[in-house]
Amino acid sequence: MTLPAWTREPIVHFLAAAAALFLFFGWVGEPADSASRTITVTREDRAALALQWERTMQRPPTDAELDTMVENFLREEVLYREAIRLGLDRDDPVVRKRLSNKMDYLAASMAETAAVSDATLADWLAEHPERFAPDVRYSFDQLYFSERAAAGAALAGGRTVGETISLPSTFDNADRTIVEGRLGQTFTTALDALEPSQSWAGPVASGFGWHLVRLRNRVVGTPPELADIRDRVEADWRSSTEAQRRKDAYEMLRSAYRVSVEK
Amino acid sequence: MSKGKAFASIGAAAVVLGAGAYWLSRPEIVDPAEVVNAEAAVALTEYPKTVLWGDTHLHTDNSIDAFGFGVRLGPEDALKFARGDEVTSTTGIKAKLARPLDFLVIADHSDGLGVMRRIYDAPRIAIRDKTLRRWYDMMHESSEQSTRATAELITAAGAGTLPEAMMDPVRQKEAATDIWNAQLRTLDRYYQPGTFTPLAGFEYTLQPDGNNLHRVVMFRDGIERTSKVLPYPGLTTTISGLFDYMDAYEQATGGKVLAIPHNSNLSNGLMFEMTDSSGGPMSAEYARRRAQHEPVVEVTQIKGDSEAHPFLSPNDEFADFGINGWEIGNLTLSRPKTDPMLAGEYLREALKRGLSIEEQTGANPYKFGMIGSTDSHTALATGDEDNFFGKHTGNEPRAIRANAPQNLGTRIGRFGWNYLAGGYAAVWARANTRAEIFDAMMRREVYATTGPRMVVRFFGGFDFADNAFSGDWVRAGYKTGVPMGGELVSNGKAPRFLVSALKDPDGAHLDRVQIIKGWTEADGTTREKVYDVAWSDSDKRSPVNGKVPAVGDTVDRKSASYTNSIGAAELRTVWTDPDYRAGQRAFYYVRVLEIPTPRWPLFDALRFEMTLSPEAMADAVAQERAYSSPIWIGPAAR
Repeated sequence: MTLPAWTREPIVHFLAAAAALFLFFGWVGEPADSASRTITVTREDRAALALQWERTMQRPPTDAELDTMVENFLREEVLYREAIRLGLDRDDPVVRKRLSNKMDYLAASMAETAAVSDATLADWLAEHPERFAPDVRYSFDQLYFSERAAAGAALAGGRTVGETISLPSTFDNADRTIVEGRLGQTFTTALDALEPSQSWAGPVASGFGWHLVRLRNRVVGTPPELADIRDRVEADWRSSTEAQRRKDAYEMLRSAYRVSVEK
Repeated sequence: MSKGKAFASIGAAAVVLGAGAYWLSRPEIVDPAEVVNAEAAVALTEYPKTVLWGDTHLHTDNSIDAFGFGVRLGPEDALKFARGDEVTSTTGIKAKLARPLDFLVIADHSDGLGVMRRIYDAPRIAIRDKTLRRWYDMMHESSEQSTRATAELITAAGAGTLPEAMMDPVRQKEAATDIWNAQLRTLDRYYQPGTFTPLAGFEYTLQPDGNNLHRVVMFRDGIERTSKVLPYPGLTTTISGLFDYMDAYEQATGGKVLAIPHNSNLSNGLMFEMTDSSGGPMSAEYARRRAQHEPVVEVTQIKGDSEAHPFLSPNDEFADFGINGWEIGNLTLSRPKTDPMLAGEYLREALKRGLSIEEQTGANPYKFGMIGSTDSHTALATGDEDNFFGKHTGNEPRAIRANAPQNLGTRIGRFGWNYLAGGYAAVWARANTRAEIFDAMMRREVYATTGPRMVVRFFGGFDFADNAFSGDWVRAGYKTGVPMGGELVSNGKAPRFLVSALKDPDGAHLDRVQIIKGWTEADGTTREKVYDVAWSDSDKRSPVNGKVPAVGDTVDRKSASYTNSIGAAELRTVWTDPDYRAGQRAFYYVRVLEIPTPRWPLFDALRFEMTLSPEAMADAVAQERAYSSPIWIGPAAR
């Protein structure tokens, strides 16, 4: 049995967990509100403050210094809680931006750490075959001429001797990127328009000049099996879904709002 | 508690645990053994047959300044873009390289690796330091403020006044470990031996008083070895500390690592000194150490070109490429530049200094090959004039960037149009793997271009025939001579050279091929000479006073276009040094010039319908070029 895709979405787990916790606390009841007016500075908190001091000053704080830090910490915590109570966080653009960034970051990190099933990747491969298909491969011979007329005359006269240039005269089963790297885009585009044949054709233009071409074979690639390129598919899925998940998470939250923009 | 409540709590706990485990399971790590097998499956050609194109100097959002300048693309996007996938730039522009790269070194600054991102992501309340808190607010306020905060940060780094909280070694180490290991895993995921090669590296940002002594450090190895170290910080160390770090890495892991100096043009004379790094006389030991660790130097990139300067080479009419704006001071413009500093900044002079130091000490500290790269801070390795994505995210394509002041520091003096579109590194390797690319750099069989992908071959020897270009001349070149980066031992005969340059298939025709020679005279002084050895349109152009006249200019300024009606598709020749004196210590390298073409500001002017400033317009057309690594000749080593 395979579960539907949405059950594997971390955001769904996240919301389910949140709902479960909400229900749970709703059921057992929350502790009294007085807790939010209790501040406990644990030994760990004090140790963390001391360590922070030590990192900056390169020595442990004295007792008096540590007491001052605890006092500052308390002061900040009290003011922070009171500020929240007064709703001061609401109209502050920095707080607003900061929290929205955190939410964004949360959604993105879920996408980053989620393990991904073969089925998802297989779907991904099926949806985007062009990203993984090997290039078209060509087998051909070429002769170079600096002038178009010379190339035309050679073709008409059946003379298969070109001018010298440091380009391979023969390509066997060469990737499109390789052909394009050596002979350029104009040439490769022209190559796609030719039909494989045992005779010379042209003249075909390139960045160098003109060519007669004998296109012996052209093989259009089929995407490899998932098992052979799992890493690549996963890398692609991972980086593509990161943006999508961030978007989905936002859309899900956004859909719960009714928004009107007055003009 | 009722039964129902117990069930509910167990259910809730199960959901939480299950989901937690699901999220915490990390993405799969590529098994290092798999990488080794894939590498072993790649066939090596008999000798280097095709040239590999790459960028050894790309920054992503892990770089402190790149992040501050606004880039939000990381190593993964950088790798996708380099191998030819479409990505969306930080400013929302879709971008895809028309021609993918063969290899990429992500070289984020080791200092404060990822720290900007951490400050940005940290709760504001946790930031105690006043300066950091101000930068935090600026980064969150707007992209302009973010750029300003970063400029302040670079100035502070140059002045040594960075907030202490940023330099905290313990926290820095934790963060760097996470980022470095995550990056190494990503590199392995994208490594396709034979097709696309990401190499591990970082930028070592040594800059006393804002004088640029930066190096890109590049590793030959995979995660098993590279995860044993962390990127070495530059701001608080010395160059011999970096060399010690590299030695320690090689000894501890059996791996290999090299360093690539760059932007010597912003070092205020410190990159290639006649003395050692502490100002004492250069010892043979120091010279050897430097040459061993730094086999190649980045000669051209976005922040200018460091091949030659008109002050040092008054007889070279092409020595003024990519110097505007960069020659006024050091990196942060904290100190102006004076003429005597130039000799320690430009590579041709450094190669000459190397010969002279070798004569005195027996060892040449500056026996380096040359590559180009981008130093892009946008996570996008763009090197062509019509696809320039800017030095950093603050100047990705938009109307005002070409004319606007673009200061890395906070002072006036440099403008958008001073930036070059960036270069690429060309490597003659037997296969596209980490080991082959690294080893080619060690033997300096590499060359630099300012963006176009010209194919340049250069062999030196004594016995090449006049008709050496017949048949399988490349194999013959390897057999009877040495390729670029190689060394010849004097045997009394004048050295001969095979040089061939093929134009970029999608680019401009070639104007000329030059061989640049530097040598030491009998009295120990150094000299240089530029020879035009092959040029186009030779029926219309005869040398006047030993110089071939200019090729002409077909650039239409209004439409940012040119025609290949002048120039040649390929230039090649067999050349013998006519001025060779037996026993002479000399180097020879090739410079290939394209016909004039539009620079990126002209494309911008067209794209955004804006008018360039008169200064920008005067520099809107240039002759793109390639520089080969030198071939040296001299007496057998003592």
